[in-house]
Amino acid sequence: MKRAFAWWWGILLAFFLVAMVRVFLPLPFAIEILIFSIYTMGCNFLLGRVGFISFGQPAYLAVGAYGTAFYLFYFGQNPYVGILLGILAGVVVSAIVGPFFVRLRSDYFALVNLALAVIVYYLMEKVLASITHGDNGLWFLANISSTPVLDLGKPSQFFIFAFLVAMAIWAFYKYLDDSIYGACCLATKINEDKLRFLGYSNFSIRWLAFVIANTTTALAGSLYAVYFGFVSPEFSSPHRAADPVVVTILGGVGTLYGPIVGAIAYTGMKDLISGIVVNWELLIGFLLIFIMLAGEKGIWGTLEPILRRAIFAKRLSSSAQAQGDKSR
Amino acid sequence: MNNGEILAVQGLNVSYGESKVLFDAHLSVKPGQLVTCVGRNGAGKSTLLKSIAGFLRPTSGSIVFNNSNLVGLRSYDIANLGLKYVPQDKKVFSDLTVRENLELGSYATKDYNWGQVTDYFPKLIQLMDRKAGYLSGGERQMLMIGRAILGNPKVLLIDEPTEGLAPSIVDHLKGVLKELSRKAALVIVEQNLPLVCAISDKIYAIKEGRIVAELTDRESIRPQTCEQYL
Repeated sequence: MKRAFAWWWGILLAFFLVAMVRVFLPLPFAIEILIFSIYTMGCNFLLGRVGFISFGQPAYLAVGAYGTAFYLFYFGQNPYVGILLGILAGVVVSAIVGPFFVRLRSDYFALVNLALAVIVYYLMEKVLASITHGDNGLWFLANISSTPVLDLGKPSQFFIFAFLVAMAIWAFYKYLDDSIYGACCLATKINEDKLRFLGYSNFSIRWLAFVIANTTTALAGSLYAVYFGFVSPEFSSPHRAADPVVVTILGGVGTLYGPIVGAIAYTGMKDLISGIVVNWELLIGFLLIFIMLAGEKGIWGTLEPILRRAIFAKRLSSSAQAQGDKSR
Repeated sequence: MNNGEILAVQGLNVSYGESKVLFDAHLSVKPGQLVTCVGRNGAGKSTLLKSIAGFLRPTSGSIVFNNSNLVGLRSYDIANLGLKYVPQDKKVFSDLTVRENLELGSYATKDYNWGQVTDYFPKLIQLMDRKAGYLSGGERQMLMIGRAILGNPKVLLIDEPTEGLAPSIVDHLKGVLKELSRKAALVIVEQNLPLVCAISDKIYAIKEGRIVAELTDRESIRPQTCEQYL
């Protein structure tokens, strides 16, 4: 019961934060936070649970985005089908490249993924320009049809959909973290040899984690595609390769709330502070250095113990007061 | 394999790159036996266990376990065949709780009955929710052995089980090891000669990568006899 309460307390807290953003700040900003937090959840799982740092997440983001875009531009109009195809593209690509990549050590893994992002970028910009329209991109906002229940063509309803998807993905990762598979992932990060002695294949565990994480990233790409009604090679731009890693570290590596907190902080700086401070990237740089020097815990990793202490102190004082009242 | 052996090693040669560390090693273990390898530091005892567990690939020789040749198999396949290895460094999965560590053992073997683990190591019951990184050396050893016996392995290889432990815990482990050997054959590497002689059915003395003695009768299994070969 206590565990279930803690579970729901967590999910409510996480999405209360996002709901507050929606109340006080513009809708596009809230949607950007939701999609960016989904984008970061995959990276956070790879880095925090499996110990893999990936600078190739834009590649999988683009795979999802183009998977959706090809359908909506060339074949159909239903955005839900487009999103499903984007997810499927993410599963297929990560399942194919995974066996080659997950055998590598973490530093080489980071670089080979970056190389993939470069390859996807040039594929979309030059090699497949006849179908991707190169730098001009694919525009299909007008192709997206109205759908029952939640019409994804309307930003306010898209926000609700993205909110529900983000919540489901967050709950899925929470489930993974608590499952035996989550323990296997952490164990392969801590000591892969010991895991082998227990009878586990590190390769299979990492491959599955790789597919799960990059499918999540592809889903974020699909959501971007439907929201903007447009895709271009910029999705897989290697210039933005560090973004999800930065947001993961900013939020707190391996923490479930980190991607949401990191996405709020990063998008906040990008969209809001950039209006006041021209070189907002400098602020991110200084903030990252500060976080690293303060113990590499990220914003959530630093805040969590303080919040926990505050909540427990309040509970303890109220229970002590209740005890006192009883004794009187 | 003959004579009812569950594990037989013949003519095993192992090298670390250019440096050869095991020379024509042999080992024979029957079900229910507690076999110990003794030797000075660097003699090749741990290398022998790691080679059997599939962590090191021998340059030549055979390792037959329960009628299956283990040479060339991956370590996790060997573990799934029922030959478990408990390494020396007592490194558990420090970020996982004791319960999660045991769950990892259970999930791999589909053995969710922790009764025998808590029978041997009742102290683990009160430590279930503690992160393994916060356990003492003795508690870690209990956890590692407990996790390895899930799934009822046929052979258990344990590297230096008592190294660095308090005498009271060594006494407890001594009883557990003897008890365990009734269910699974045990091959242990150990430097504590009085303990070794008290519990072993057979002792192999290893010196500079070679097995220099095989002691099998109670008369010869004495610390003084072992010392002669080290």
